[in-house]
Amino acid sequence: MALLEMNNIYKTFGETTVLHGVHLDLNEGEVHALLGENGAGKSTLMNILTGVLPADKGSIVFDGKSYADPTIQEMEKAGIAFVHQELNVINDLTVQENIFLCREIRNKAGLLNKKEMIAKTKQLFDDLGVDMNPTVMVSELKTAEKQLLEICRALYTNAKLLILDEPTTALSNDEIDHLFSIINNLKAQGKSFIFISHKMPEIFAIADRYTVFRNGEFISSGNIKDTNARDITSDMVGAKYEETDTYKERELGEVVLELKNATGIGFENINLTARKGEIIAFTGLAGSGASECMQTIFGAQHLDNGEIVVNGKKLEGSILKHMKNSVGLLPANRRENSVIPDLTILENYSIAENSLSGNRPFIIKKSEIKKYLEDKKRLNIKAENHDDLIDALSGGNKQKVFLGRWLNTGVDVLLFDNPTQGVDVGAKAEIYKLILEFAKQGKTIIINTLEIPEIQKVADRCLVFYDGHIVKEFKHSEVNEKDVMLYSTNAINS
Amino acid sequence: MKKGNNILKTIGALWSKYSYIFVAVIIFLGYAYVIGANGRQFNWGHISGILGSQNTCIVGVMALGMALVIITGGIDLSLGANLVLATGCSIMVYNITNSIPLMFITAVAAGAAGGLVNGLLVGYIKMPPFIATLGTQLIYRSYMLSIVREIDVNIAGSSSSQFMLLSDSKYYEFLKFNIGNGKINLGAIDFPIITLILIAFVALLMVVSKCTKFGKKVYAVGSNDKSARLAGINVELTKCLVYVCAGALVGVGAFLQACKVGSVTPASSGVSYEMYAVIACVLGGINMSGGRGNLLGVAFGAMSYSAVSMIIVNIPGLTVDIQNAFQGLVLITVILIQLVGPMIKEKIRQYKKHREGAKA
Repeated sequence: MALLEMNNIYKTFGETTVLHGVHLDLNEGEVHALLGENGAGKSTLMNILTGVLPADKGSIVFDGKSYADPTIQEMEKAGIAFVHQELNVINDLTVQENIFLCREIRNKAGLLNKKEMIAKTKQLFDDLGVDMNPTVMVSELKTAEKQLLEICRALYTNAKLLILDEPTTALSNDEIDHLFSIINNLKAQGKSFIFISHKMPEIFAIADRYTVFRNGEFISSGNIKDTNARDITSDMVGAKYEETDTYKERELGEVVLELKNATGIGFENINLTARKGEIIAFTGLAGSGASECMQTIFGAQHLDNGEIVVNGKKLEGSILKHMKNSVGLLPANRRENSVIPDLTILENYSIAENSLSGNRPFIIKKSEIKKYLEDKKRLNIKAENHDDLIDALSGGNKQKVFLGRWLNTGVDVLLFDNPTQGVDVGAKAEIYKLILEFAKQGKTIIINTLEIPEIQKVADRCLVFYDGHIVKEFKHSEVNEKDVMLYSTNAINS
Repeated sequence: MKKGNNILKTIGALWSKYSYIFVAVIIFLGYAYVIGANGRQFNWGHISGILGSQNTCIVGVMALGMALVIITGGIDLSLGANLVLATGCSIMVYNITNSIPLMFITAVAAGAAGGLVNGLLVGYIKMPPFIATLGTQLIYRSYMLSIVREIDVNIAGSSSSQFMLLSDSKYYEFLKFNIGNGKINLGAIDFPIITLILIAFVALLMVVSKCTKFGKKVYAVGSNDKSARLAGINVELTKCLVYVCAGALVGVGAFLQACKVGSVTPASSGVSYEMYAVIACVLGGINMSGGRGNLLGVAFGAMSYSAVSMIIVNIPGLTVDIQNAFQGLVLITVILIQLVGPMIKEKIRQYKKHREGAKA
């Protein structure tokens, strides 16, 4: 009998429909892989299931009971637990205190009965085969242990269904094996799982059945043993055809950037040469090392081994030294890493140039405004007054200001980490057009992105990262969504 | 109705941008009222009394440094103790050398050195500013306290546990009466010299904060230090330098203290000045969470703060003892208006929306 049936679920945010009548069903004692690209609607569906968001239409039946408009508390009580990708354990409490948070056992005097809680935690861990000390502080645990703790916490509430959202991103191979053995163990006890992951080998190792969504629509579902990684990947990607007519092959100049056996936090032995006017795309899942490698080229992370050479000069030291040697980075997570909210648009635009030219202490506002207005025209920034705070602008226009921030420094090597994150479709196209233009003017550009159609639009070649290594290089003409996905999820080796 | 709304809106916008001027004007009006109620004529003498007071000038110049520190997201609790350190050193140097330039340089250098210790601890060792500067506060004051009695009377200038300008020295009269308590005649009014010095430093600091790359870095670090770092700013160095600046400005304050008062008592001088400086910053519209604020406001803040104490002194039946309570009250009221104002506005907006919804 099915434990969960979600039928014909619709959800609209404002103008955009994110779920078009999808369905999902799951049996007791089953690990069900929920698959789809970013924006396919997986998270929205899970939020509906756990009562975080209301569905516009559709039915949810869980454990024989129908839920019309469930609240978070109702679903928790019914036995659904969501183990989020960002862990929700409290670092400053002990393991035992985390498990019993908000449901502490008290003695007759109304004080905490620590002894019993510790005993019960131990019992729980023994049943699960988890080796963890209930009295240790959570801050001392490794990420994998925190993950297990959160699963244990969910199980202590007698959850019947656990939703694991990309639980393996931060785990090593041994830790993943351990997690999987626990999942298998629980499966035998009749617990069910919805497993969200992008990594194909894992899905084939642990899941029984799968469901694929694409652009908010149900695409396929079935038994894992009846399918293979290639079929699932093409279900996820679909037969999308993206125009690539903006791309033109360019004449490349001399070598500008060279990585020789570069090793740092999250990546190993990366070798790379980039020429003047070249656009290289990095791609890879979170934690694959692509973004980390980029930050190291900019000096924001430490290079442990190997060399980074720009224009014949070996790079080392502070970010400012890297900038002086002609490297600029537009970081990912604009809000956190680019925006300086209390400064104006003009100040945000000029700040990197200001740090480069720190030996001339005075700011000449007139010439800054002149430069800004030039770039404003060139980048088509829609802004009224340059003395407004940066937050007055939309995401796309902010990002263009930050592109300008680096153009203004005149550096030769531009690194763009996920440059179209949180930018609307129109601005995205503009940003990619601009990137092509920068390359034409002789900049060397590296882009890190997961959006393969964008790679097809601009990149001369594409390097796929997996687990800290470059696993594949595609030429411009070879880049297609399916193959890139196969390599970046390591499906090719499963 | 429409017109009235517009005027209110304009006043609201001005209030949020220049609240410190409104606050100062309101407090000065209050002062004028109290003087009038006492049956006296409010005149320029009262105003210049506030402008040239220790609270306006010495605390004011120190508050400029405090403001820089607060803008980077820190705080400097050692300002008052550092004032004792810098004043003590500069008085000793004057008593030995009889040189005004050396006295001034010593004051600024000693203050900056005191600030450098804070800067290294906060910027490079990443100690919480509250803790680091609390520690140096205790060290600076207690060190001066312990040496004042050990030093030759001809150097310390006094045998009663304080550092004092030797009254028989060459420039004593000049320092004390021509600078510290001196006035310059500007046509109809006499203007206190030390207020001019304060104004000069306000102008200097405004140029530094608005027109230099260092100033921009200070705001950027306080606003979002991660973005600032990724724009090539040396966050550690910037943080360290603001404490050095704050210390150097304490040095200027120390010179003013030596001139105005002629002495400094390690046990009691400058106690709580760091808190008064915070009050001046807050009344001056410096945002305590960093990144925002205009240094011009700090001068107004210091003025408002010292005017409040003058009001208290002039209300019959109130003693100086209650002064701090009133200052606290004014501080809380001003901030209350700033915080509650937008909340009430939002409530009204919601209420209107609700009513319109009900109508439709």
